[in-house]
Amino acid sequence: MLVSWKWLSKYVDLSMDREELETRLSLSGLNHEGTEIVGGDPVIDLEVTSNRGDCLGHLGVAREIAVLYGTSVKTPEVVISESDEAVDSLLSVENQFIDACPRYTARVIKGVRVGPSPDWMVEALAAVGIASVNNVVDSTNYVTMECGQPLHAFDFAKVAGAKIVVRPGKKDEKFRAIDHKDYQLDDSTCVIADAKQADAIAGVMGGAESEVDESTTDLVIEAAVFTPLVVRRAARKLKLHSPSSYRFERKVDPVGVDWASRRVCQLIQELAGGEVAKGVIDTAPEIADRESITLRSGQVKRILGIDIDPQEITRILNELGCTADGDDSDQGISYVPPTWRHDLTREADLIEEVARIYGYDKIPEDAPIPVAPSEKRPFDVAMDRVRAVLTAAGMSEAMTPSVVTAKVDDSLSPWTDKPALQTQTQMLKGSKRLRRTLIPSLLQGRANNWATASIEANLFEISHIYLPSDAGDTLPSEQYSLGLVAGGDFFDLKGIIESLILRMGISEPAKVTPVERPGFAKGGAVELSLGDAPLGYLGVVDPKVLKQWKLPHPVVAAELSLPALLDASRLVPQQQSVSAFPSVQRDLNFVLAESVRWSEMENVVRSAVGDDLADLVYVETYRDEKKDGKGTKRLLLSVVLQKSDDTLSGDQADALIQSIVASCEKKLSAKLLS
Amino acid sequence: MSLQDFLASLDALQCDAQSAFDSADDAESFEAARVAFTGAKKGRLKDVQKQMGAVPNEEKKTAGLKLNEVKSAIQTALETAQSRLGGGDDSGVDPTFDPTLPGNRPIIGHIHPITQTINHLMEIMGRMGFEAAEGPEVEDPWHNFVALNIPEDHPARDPLDNFYLATAAAAKADRNVEGEQLLRSQTSTVQIRIMEERQPPIRIISLGRVYRPDQPDATHFPMFHQMEGLLVDKNVTMANLKTVLRVFATNYLGDDVEIRFRPSFFPFTEPSVEVDFLWDGTWIEFGGAGMIDPNVFKAVGYDPDEVSGFAFGLGVERLCMRRHGITDIRDLYSGDLRFLRQF
Repeated sequence: MLVSWKWLSKYVDLSMDREELETRLSLSGLNHEGTEIVGGDPVIDLEVTSNRGDCLGHLGVAREIAVLYGTSVKTPEVVISESDEAVDSLLSVENQFIDACPRYTARVIKGVRVGPSPDWMVEALAAVGIASVNNVVDSTNYVTMECGQPLHAFDFAKVAGAKIVVRPGKKDEKFRAIDHKDYQLDDSTCVIADAKQADAIAGVMGGAESEVDESTTDLVIEAAVFTPLVVRRAARKLKLHSPSSYRFERKVDPVGVDWASRRVCQLIQELAGGEVAKGVIDTAPEIADRESITLRSGQVKRILGIDIDPQEITRILNELGCTADGDDSDQGISYVPPTWRHDLTREADLIEEVARIYGYDKIPEDAPIPVAPSEKRPFDVAMDRVRAVLTAAGMSEAMTPSVVTAKVDDSLSPWTDKPALQTQTQMLKGSKRLRRTLIPSLLQGRANNWATASIEANLFEISHIYLPSDAGDTLPSEQYSLGLVAGGDFFDLKGIIESLILRMGISEPAKVTPVERPGFAKGGAVELSLGDAPLGYLGVVDPKVLKQWKLPHPVVAAELSLPALLDASRLVPQQQSVSAFPSVQRDLNFVLAESVRWSEMENVVRSAVGDDLADLVYVETYRDEKKDGKGTKRLLLSVVLQKSDDTLSGDQADALIQSIVASCEKKLSAKLLS
Repeated sequence: MSLQDFLASLDALQCDAQSAFDSADDAESFEAARVAFTGAKKGRLKDVQKQMGAVPNEEKKTAGLKLNEVKSAIQTALETAQSRLGGGDDSGVDPTFDPTLPGNRPIIGHIHPITQTINHLMEIMGRMGFEAAEGPEVEDPWHNFVALNIPEDHPARDPLDNFYLATAAAAKADRNVEGEQLLRSQTSTVQIRIMEERQPPIRIISLGRVYRPDQPDATHFPMFHQMEGLLVDKNVTMANLKTVLRVFATNYLGDDVEIRFRPSFFPFTEPSVEVDFLWDGTWIEFGGAGMIDPNVFKAVGYDPDEVSGFAFGLGVERLCMRRHGITDIRDLYSGDLRFLRQF
């Protein structure tokens, strides 16, 4: 809201320092955004919160200043001379859309001479950024900026049938506004029409057809109340935001409607002459009384934490226009708020008024809260550890948008086949899908790094993924996921995940089960699980997907469910005693069928030794078709044998090795090479 | 050359070398002696070795034995001198060793600056007894609006200001409509969920991603992070709010910080204020705060006459950017390692 210092000085004493006033306004609710000097006149830009429509005029700001400085507001006295001709003999008003327009008032002025406005008015409007049109239009704009009530003047001669109809727009109805652009109407819009056509979009903008110009002699003056929601929807839909729509959206003073109507008639008469027809057409002259609000004693202190003298409280509320209605009790004092303050309906609202005028600077900063224990969430402890392991492994944390494009979403989806949820409005260019996995976003991140700087970025992200629920109306299954994308070998990333699992205090390694998932290379993806609980997916990214991102292969990706990882984690490690007895290490080289997996071998070795197996290390695989025949491989492994309570003798060790060899032979047809 | 002459020159060489190495008293004179006697090109040992060809064949064996003897004596003299000058064993310094060459750095990843900021905020608030809480990002209108005292016709619910999820009904209408689910526009939703589950006293901070349809530029992004604090108990006042925020600011900014309240408007608090910190001589907007609106307490089943409370909210990005001198919010979500590896 732009406020002209010169204009404002008509209503309230401004002998104080301007900058001091600006600060006081900021600290009492009208935030000072800046001041510009326009033609020698300081123009102050004040931010008015959406609950304070009453401050969208110079008089409203003057009221605030008067309360802050304990002075009074000089409201202009309105005197109009009416002719004998009754307004309702000239014009009729029919309200068919009371939901959108609870009150419509109209006056008629005949015989005006439309012409330029005097300098004082042109300057006043220019200061607040409004260009002068003519003395009639300027008068309506001036009163709007004076009291905050939007007004409109129609050329009476162009109001067909001398009839105003407030009604919903019709389907396919077109309307040419005073900006000379055409707008398509519908039944959610409220229009001000005559017997033939729409002349204005209610509360938003007037029409070109009924515009006041040099040939105009007779006027219809509209001062009305339009409901915020209807005005807002129309302004949004038509992308037509005006000073008028802005004010109706924030509610106008129901009592001020008639004042504004008479005030604009007065100004027009002064500047353009003419005769005001007798009386007013008012569709709802009865204005409901405001309900009183009781401010109980002690409540101010209970909320603000300070004692304020009851007389001071009463003074502040009275000066803000709240009148004690005498209906007091032991409980407290009862106030009726002023008609322009729609935001005051409850005790809490009055407490806020007292606080902001009394001054928030008087609230102390030395009222500590009692001590209370608080604990770091296990989730946060776990995430610290996850990040520590991953950064140690050379991976960097990225954060990428939760809503992605179809291209990103379509490239890979390990968790679900259900289509992604979508937003109505795109978040970034073309992004409407709530991601079902983090991997594609990280692939995109890797691709951007590669394209812009030839960096092979190994990235991870910890974020929610959104899996559509089974029933349409329940919230999606949303969970924290850990996404990982890295270059290099499948086993490099697998190793990082294995280290992570160990560091989370999970001793049992993750089980891998080969799976087929779109986006992963065929035969190159596995499902990971801890015990019976699914943990996530790991795999080589399909070269076709990499091609889409112009990424060199190989790229390996994984995603883990963090709730699943946390479920199995033991974040407080328990010490295992270290055996004091020497260990024996033996290397074993087996030749066996290609189809035997390491995991099977591992199981056989483990169960063959039992508790005395301190470690089992895979060393390498190699193939020698000439010596061993087709479809075979050699597996070299190393076992460490140790007893926890005694020295393992050479014979005992030999016996254990024999047991391994025998088991491998029997269960896997694996032969030991000497 | 006669054997005699050859042996004589070997003796002379050994004698000279011995005294040269014995008298070497720094790396320079040692190096000079090394080059003079055992140098691969012009060393005297090399010269004498060449003379061996001139010794008659039948005497070569004797000459060879003597040569080896002298060679090893010179080597011993050299090593003795070297260990004396090197001050120790033969793991001594290789003269080609350049300690100014760069070390072999392990590749260590980086933690995102937003994560670092969030951890910092949680740590400060944790010391004042606030525990972290989270909730879903896809919300229903009850938690995102209704319970927060944002009624049906409130502008904050406008489809153009929110990411409502597409539904069959929305698909039918040719315009955006208020749907049954949306990406939350504030983390206050978490406060409602916690209050619905628990009874006071409550002391939490809610953290996480929030979403608002803003055109991205250097200071706006349609996705960002909020931290909101909530304290509900008997007799919680605005003075407590101001105190907690001042302690927070002093902790975060590392100095005794002045703080001020400016009146504002939020549907879920009454009174509502904007909070500014005086930092380096200028007032910096920190975020919004206020006393919980009685309607919010009613929505979660608390009696507003029994309990009171405060809430505050701040944008994590703004604090993060200010702390690290980041000038473009979009960098945070780019995944660009040239940006990430600076943190």
